[in-house]
Amino acid sequence: MQQLKQFWVAEALEKDLGDPGNPNSMMSFKQVMDLDEKEEFPDEIIDWLYNWKLQHYYIPTECGGEFTGFDEFISFVRVLSRRDQTAGIAFTTMFWSYLVWMAGTEEQKQNLASFMKDNNGTMCLAYSEKAHGSDLLGGDMKATKVEGGYLMTGEKWPINRATRSGVSFVLAQTDPAGGPRSLSLFMVEKSKIDPAKYSNLPKILTHGIRGSDMSGIKFDHCFIPDAMRLGAEGTGLELALKGFQITRALCAAFSQGAADTALRTTLKFALGRKLYGKTVFDMPQPRRTLTDAFLDILICDCCTYGVGRGFSTVPEQISAWSAVVKYFVTTTLETVVNNVSVVLGSRFYMREAHDWGIFQKVLRDNAIISMFDGSSIVNLHALLLQLRQLTKSRARNAGKNLEALSTRLSTTFDLTQTLPAFDGKKLELVNRGGDDVLQGLELAIASLEKLKSDSNLNPDTLYQIITFTEIMREELNSLDVEITESTFQFGHEQEPEFFDMARKYCVLHAAAACVYTWIYNRNHLGEFFANGEWLALSLRRLMLNLKPAKALPGRIDDSGVTQEMIRLYNEDRMFSIVPFQLAKSQLEETSTDASPKLQLQT
Amino acid sequence: MNSVDTIQSWLVNQIATQLKIGPETIKVTEPLTRYGLDSIDSVTIVGDMEDWLDAELPSTLLWDYPTIAKAAQYLVDEVGVSPEETATPQPAAASQAKAEAPAGKGWGGLWNKISGS
Repeated sequence: MQQLKQFWVAEALEKDLGDPGNPNSMMSFKQVMDLDEKEEFPDEIIDWLYNWKLQHYYIPTECGGEFTGFDEFISFVRVLSRRDQTAGIAFTTMFWSYLVWMAGTEEQKQNLASFMKDNNGTMCLAYSEKAHGSDLLGGDMKATKVEGGYLMTGEKWPINRATRSGVSFVLAQTDPAGGPRSLSLFMVEKSKIDPAKYSNLPKILTHGIRGSDMSGIKFDHCFIPDAMRLGAEGTGLELALKGFQITRALCAAFSQGAADTALRTTLKFALGRKLYGKTVFDMPQPRRTLTDAFLDILICDCCTYGVGRGFSTVPEQISAWSAVVKYFVTTTLETVVNNVSVVLGSRFYMREAHDWGIFQKVLRDNAIISMFDGSSIVNLHALLLQLRQLTKSRARNAGKNLEALSTRLSTTFDLTQTLPAFDGKKLELVNRGGDDVLQGLELAIASLEKLKSDSNLNPDTLYQIITFTEIMREELNSLDVEITESTFQFGHEQEPEFFDMARKYCVLHAAAACVYTWIYNRNHLGEFFANGEWLALSLRRLMLNLKPAKALPGRIDDSGVTQEMIRLYNEDRMFSIVPFQLAKSQLEETSTDASPKLQLQT
Repeated sequence: MNSVDTIQSWLVNQIATQLKIGPETIKVTEPLTRYGLDSIDSVTIVGDMEDWLDAELPSTLLWDYPTIAKAAQYLVDEVGVSPEETATPQPAAASQAKAEAPAGKGWGGLWNKISGS
């Protein structure tokens, strides 16, 4: 078994779900494709997951559940999502329970925990409205105060699981005067309100995640008792924005599951398919495409686990980190799926060919991840509003409290360290105290310099890692100047140049997250991880976003990375910096040449 | 000017500059949202106030005290800030930095220069 405890749940779940390539397994590709073709909700899968008691891992231990940390959570959501994003997303709407764990009364927490554990209950998030989209304050849903509660009137749409959920988290206007304190959040328990006063809207037909219960909900002077209000009246927007910091960061796990399957099924094809007397994989161009996809997954891994653990170590910084990850990881992995589709050739577009056509489903399903819970643009906007303060904090904190910074970074990135318990009350609407990830670049460079005496490291690889990290520092310095020189404005008509600055910031944050992940885990994630070739290659990939290739050190030999990818494929391990064990594929399924006899041309 | 006036005039200038409207059009007793300052903008503006006043403030300050007059009064009465009159409004902090930015130099030195530390 994996020595890192936070991966045990994911491994156990994998084992019990079985090989997705075996049609008889739960959540097999065959099963999820059949459901998708019929646009049917995955009831059987969801029931199975409840019986497995996976919902307990959404409930913090102090509320009677098993949740201990977001890195564990991210890992098992990847497991669901690599098989079926439709079911994965449907089951994981439960992560909005965080609104209650953060702001609920003891009674509300107990209520919800028991609803999830004992009644296989689920919930949905009813924020958006047809006419207002992301403009939460512009909504028309009203909750008018009456004796003992509120009368709720209005419509929320589109909502994932609106019809099937027993609890809807509804954002409604409690102060007709408007403004940021005009909204309150309600945990509406359908079983306790008058069924004549609310209705579910028809299923919405969608491009991907076709079996989803995508609909809406409508209230008509529906009495909602005071006990269903979360937090004080007027705190709805604040709570909603803090809740998004959690759900947005965790959305990355959906994309990582999808990217794993996209790469795995394409590799299977490339290794087995012969053309011009060779396998597709033997040809340099497809091999490079697949290796780069693997590198992108590793890069995103470092960011996702970083923010997952950062929730516990630096909650006051997460407003920036979660926007970075929601933007960067989901869009990068969308690109990964697109890039590898070329290797699969026309099969990527076929609905039955190759692994039951799972690739085209991944492509369709995954396209929504960068859009929901705040689109890419919404996330970049959330970040760009904080850029000036981030820049100022970086200057203000430069060279100060280095010991504390170093301790925070090592607790965040060293996967063997025990995390403090997450406290949602410590989340802040805007970043407090800067961004440790970029603040620590000088420390990172100093740590890297010290590794020059490590005889186990290839000096060329280390040289590249140091050089790219220095380039990051230069790029960050010039970005800071760019931010400072820009004439910032409020409002929603931000210049496109600001979005570009926010994008650059995301790339730099991601690159730095990779460097720390390596520095702090070199001794316990195996030889491939430790030798750092993957890091040098990843940093080069990232810096290509900021500089032309000729301005960067040349690409080092990537055959070691390619070999590792094949090893993980052959051993059925997650494509990840922590390649935990997946369900073993059955022999008859791997009738292609994807066996150890495969020789890499090194 | 007393402290309340100083804070009010700082906020008027800051908001006028960043929303590109004339400071004379801003009434300190009107809710800030009337001028197109949205909910998240009014959270980020608190960061600038913290820098100016050198004090940690609740980030929802302008949500809970939604007019310039109310916010200034709260800061003086409850938080006890007393900005110096010489601390004139500097909404154009960005352009000031621009003027001093040494070409091709890193950021660390730049800020030391501005802040004099």
